[in-house]
Amino acid sequence: MSKDNNGLKELEKEITSGIQSCIRCRECLTMCPTYEGWATQGPYGRLMAVNLHLKYGLGSEEELSDLLFACSTCRRCLERCKRLSSGTKTTDIIVKARQYLAKRAKARGGKKKS
Amino acid sequence: MNDTYKGVIPVGHTYIRDSILEKGNIFGVTGKKSAWAKDLNLPKKAEYTFFAGCGYQLMRYAGGMMGAIKTAGKMGMGMDRMIGISKAFGKVGVDVTGIVGKVTSAGKEDPYTKVLANAVSVLRKLGVDLGYLYEDEPCCGSPLYYAGFLDEYIENAQKNYELFKSLGVKKIVGVIPACTGSLKNLYPKLVDGYDIEVKHFLEVVAEKLRDSNIRPKLKEKKVITYHDPCQLSRYLNITTEPREIISRVEGLEVREPEAMQKGEWSTCCGGGGGMEVCFPELSERLAVRRVEELLATSADIIATSCPACELQLLKGIDKVKTDIKVVDLAEILDEALEEGQLAK
Repeated sequence: MSKDNNGLKELEKEITSGIQSCIRCRECLTMCPTYEGWATQGPYGRLMAVNLHLKYGLGSEEELSDLLFACSTCRRCLERCKRLSSGTKTTDIIVKARQYLAKRAKARGGKKKS
Repeated sequence: MNDTYKGVIPVGHTYIRDSILEKGNIFGVTGKKSAWAKDLNLPKKAEYTFFAGCGYQLMRYAGGMMGAIKTAGKMGMGMDRMIGISKAFGKVGVDVTGIVGKVTSAGKEDPYTKVLANAVSVLRKLGVDLGYLYEDEPCCGSPLYYAGFLDEYIENAQKNYELFKSLGVKKIVGVIPACTGSLKNLYPKLVDGYDIEVKHFLEVVAEKLRDSNIRPKLKEKKVITYHDPCQLSRYLNITTEPREIISRVEGLEVREPEAMQKGEWSTCCGGGGGMEVCFPELSERLAVRRVEELLATSADIIATSCPACELQLLKGIDKVKTDIKVVDLAEILDEALEEGQLAK
């Protein structure tokens, strides 16, 4: 592996520090169009899943990918968070997490993580 | 097939990625995209450059592509809706390109590019000096960004900026919210020295109507409701402009949805972020919900200004089995300016 991994570490830092500002109020869930009862169907759960995966390796990439790509990136949650809560850049972080997954897969070059 | 992104990025998204990188459009077709503009005599160079984008120019291919992806979904699993379509592709080995090719070779008349002609006509009537790049128009690449292919997106953006510079493009008017947002908000962050002024069609129209105090007039009264596309309302902060335009048009009555369903709170149509290619059923539920919300306004027409929203709303209308129409704001404006242009 190269030392830098094509900005992978920076992206990871950007994502995890972005999630830090979330105060877990879950206001965003009721705004999310894909939310149907499970927290992971909304921005709050998606952010938490990303956080746990990046920090502690919880959950597989496949599972995380399914959660992230079910987001329609409509930014309704971001608007809500900006006006009512901590101003976490929910949608931007979700898109960045997708970019992180893609970057990591590319750095691996298609080989499965052992 | 390249399986670098297997299990990480849904197959639908990697298909779109390959299309953009190889063919320069999101649907992966090689057909001429500028056919709609051949009678309009648009110059290549002008004050404003019209950016038509993939959406309307090639939307006739979208049905085929979505259909293929959905069929694959049904063949593969159908039951578990939270499983990505990617797995279904893997199982049945569907060749999306092949199916799209077959569906689109039918050669139907194109209803979608009319919106582009309407938009050009509106801008011309309002005295905007407009040019168009024809086949040179690149793909902005925004699906790359939202699907996670950041490196490819930046590379594409830099290439596009070089191209714009070499063609002398200074100001761009975009009709598609996603393309406009990409060119306006993302490019400056990722491309060094990016200095092109980008505006959305509705911004330019609102500005021109305000300055010239033209009051467009419709021959027949229309009752509409306005659906705010997320890329316009929350990415570009364009919520007052369309309402200002609508209020200027005589004979146009607007019935707004509830406060938490319009403007910056507008509900998602289910077409954003490319979710319709990996979660078609979920995306359809969103479309149905949005159509039901808009139906509650008892308007006859849904006006909007995004091709993805239009496609989704049509899908929702089909499901709900109602006869409300979906029309692009540019179409209504073109009609209204025809009549009332001189009556200032």
